[in-house]
Amino acid sequence: MAWLFVRLKLRLIAGNLRGDAMRQIGFVFTLIAAAAVALGGFALIALLRFAPQDVAVDAGMVIFTVIALIWVVGPLLVFGVDETLDPARLVLFPLTARQMAVGMFAASATGPWPLASLIVLLGAVAGLARDVSGLLIGLVAVPLHLAFCLVASRTVTTALSRLLRSRRGRDLLAIGVVFVVLLSQVPNLVINRGVAGPPLELLAGLAALVRWSPPGMAAHAIAGGGLLGLAELAAVGVLVIVLAAVWVAVLRRTLVRADSSTEAASVGRSRFDRLLPGGPFGAVVAKELKYLRREPRGRMGWLSAVGVSTVLLFSLSSGPGGLSGASLAIAVACLTALMLGLQGVNVFGIDGRALWMNAVVYSAPRDLRTDLAARHLAISLAAGPAIAVLAVAGALVAGDLVWAVPALLTAAGALPIALGVGAVTSVITPYTYPQRVNAFTSAAPGQGGVAVAGSFGAMLATALLAAPVVIPVLMGVTWLSVVAVPYGLAVAYGGRRLAATIGYARLPDLLAAVSRPS
Amino acid sequence: MTDFAERDGPSVTEGAPAPAEAVRTRGLYKRFGRQVAVAGVDLVVPAGSFAGLVGPNGAGKTTTLSMITGLLLPDAGSAEVGGSDVWRDPVAVKAHIGVLPEGLRLFERLSGRELLMYNGRLRGIPKDEVARRSEELLTVMDLVSSADKLVVDYSTGMRKKIGLAAALLHNPRVLFLDEPFEGVDPISANTLVEVLRRYTSSGSTVVFSSHVMELVERLCDWVSVMNLGRIVAQGPLSEVRGGQTLNEALLHLVGARATGEQGLSWLGSPGA
Repeated sequence: MAWLFVRLKLRLIAGNLRGDAMRQIGFVFTLIAAAAVALGGFALIALLRFAPQDVAVDAGMVIFTVIALIWVVGPLLVFGVDETLDPARLVLFPLTARQMAVGMFAASATGPWPLASLIVLLGAVAGLARDVSGLLIGLVAVPLHLAFCLVASRTVTTALSRLLRSRRGRDLLAIGVVFVVLLSQVPNLVINRGVAGPPLELLAGLAALVRWSPPGMAAHAIAGGGLLGLAELAAVGVLVIVLAAVWVAVLRRTLVRADSSTEAASVGRSRFDRLLPGGPFGAVVAKELKYLRREPRGRMGWLSAVGVSTVLLFSLSSGPGGLSGASLAIAVACLTALMLGLQGVNVFGIDGRALWMNAVVYSAPRDLRTDLAARHLAISLAAGPAIAVLAVAGALVAGDLVWAVPALLTAAGALPIALGVGAVTSVITPYTYPQRVNAFTSAAPGQGGVAVAGSFGAMLATALLAAPVVIPVLMGVTWLSVVAVPYGLAVAYGGRRLAATIGYARLPDLLAAVSRPS
Repeated sequence: MTDFAERDGPSVTEGAPAPAEAVRTRGLYKRFGRQVAVAGVDLVVPAGSFAGLVGPNGAGKTTTLSMITGLLLPDAGSAEVGGSDVWRDPVAVKAHIGVLPEGLRLFERLSGRELLMYNGRLRGIPKDEVARRSEELLTVMDLVSSADKLVVDYSTGMRKKIGLAAALLHNPRVLFLDEPFEGVDPISANTLVEVLRRYTSSGSTVVFSSHVMELVERLCDWVSVMNLGRIVAQGPLSEVRGGQTLNEALLHLVGARATGEQGLSWLGSPGA
């Protein structure tokens, strides 16, 4: 059974690559990345041999815990990539839960990443073991810890698989992804700002926290060796078996429980709609504002833009080359405007396969211009408050609230510039957002290059167009911020005009580009 | 009923006699790479008819309908709806057609009611009028209880019904429906049929593609049969089927070979 699942997994990997050059290149990069992680990780952990004994043990325990956490969280972020992992696909086969667990365990141990993890963990044997008993214990502890990682990861995905298959669950997960990405910035900030004291004390604190967790015990057993090491090893083994039993139980329950994805809640009727004018302009504004709230991919983009801006506020102001004074407030506000404006580089992507509803109505470039203007208004309505908050925050961090005024004015000019550029990239490099939300791709298979080209082109063009106003203001010519808004609005208008002319001529292509199967 | 969707521009005026043909294509041609999807289609649909476009999978029905409704640019040939060219005079055509394309592609994150409001306002119908028509359509389609749920949570039948409601909202003269009954439960199908019958009885035209021959036979007075990107037969239902059932006529027209009895000997024998 295990061998069958291993072959199934290998077959799935091969089938996924067949006849698709982009995916083959992607897979080669995955292999290179896995090899780099394996060798680099092995070397880094092996270097712990030259660290003082107590530091090496602390570091080893923390590293083992981090690897386990990556295994638990990682598959959640890319859930759905691998068919062997979804028990729902196996329900109809005459398999017992135990057989299925063995098979799925074997399948998840197959592939480049489990192998890379194994090699990284083996680095700990080289780096931590101080005597022969440590070495021998290490050779058992490393596979055992990998098994722990796999079983823990399987248990969590299986327990959540019902949720993950429902629409609501996937929506939630999309938001979770943003938080995980932002959380990864926390250690950076903590160390930069010296919040938690010297790094070694921080390490000791973390190590004490994970000392009696399975990863902590596994790492400690390798370093300590001896009878205590053996006891810790046995404890980890028992925990792996218990966890596996839990997994089988969860699996058994999951297979026969109903799918909750059809229970749908109602949405309230919007009062704001009534304030909007009738006709296509109001219709598109109302729809866009609803999509900002309800579409997980849209929310992901907005949340990460605001999150990254907040992180930037702190990282720009700290360190030796940090900004200060009015330029800090202005830079933060403008970067926020740029990042929120970049939410509009593929404005039709969010409509996706539904865009035909607009296309069967629009019969002149003017219709498309109205549509773009409505989308811009909706983005601005949502971006305005965010920019204002960050401009004020930037001014407060910099030391004088007055600086918020030029910051706000300049950013209010930068946003329409980004939107105007985005209108043009939306019609020149349109692409489909993937159906399945995950943290690592933003476009349908084969359109990744187009998406990257569009975003980079938009960023570059926005920077060039914004430079004449933003750079003098940053240099101290603050009064120039007054002309930023009219200048930005003019650029946005020009962008929409150009985009409408190009876009209307290639409306069917546009439609096809954002409706690709994904 | 007042036609609010009437946009500026010299479209077909109310008083003038309507052209006898609601839809007419000449040599419509489309290829995707090396695959010729539509190889010169001359489709004719008389005004006021309930027309069925039938044929096996891959015959080019969806591609043809997409080109007639302005969603896909043809490589060659022309398409006219109500006497106006779809690609040269889109204003006149787009205001008077309703479309339900294949694949239930709708704005997933709007509720059913919001979807109708969006469609109506996009077409320039006043808000109050859209609201009134929406409520009536939701009632007729039996969607009132789900009107405030998101379309993403709708079942196939509900999606077809809300899609048809959206296509009817601006009271189009010609309605194009791609597989409107695919995956629809009998109750919803019945609702769809009733609404469409009422719509054509007033002189409007319906063109729909389908695999379900019994349904086409029951509903349509005009049939066009497609195979391998061409129209192989076209005319009043009685003429096209010529004394047989439509299913038999279709099998004959597309030259389907009889399925062999060889192989599958194990199938059905108990315990084998």
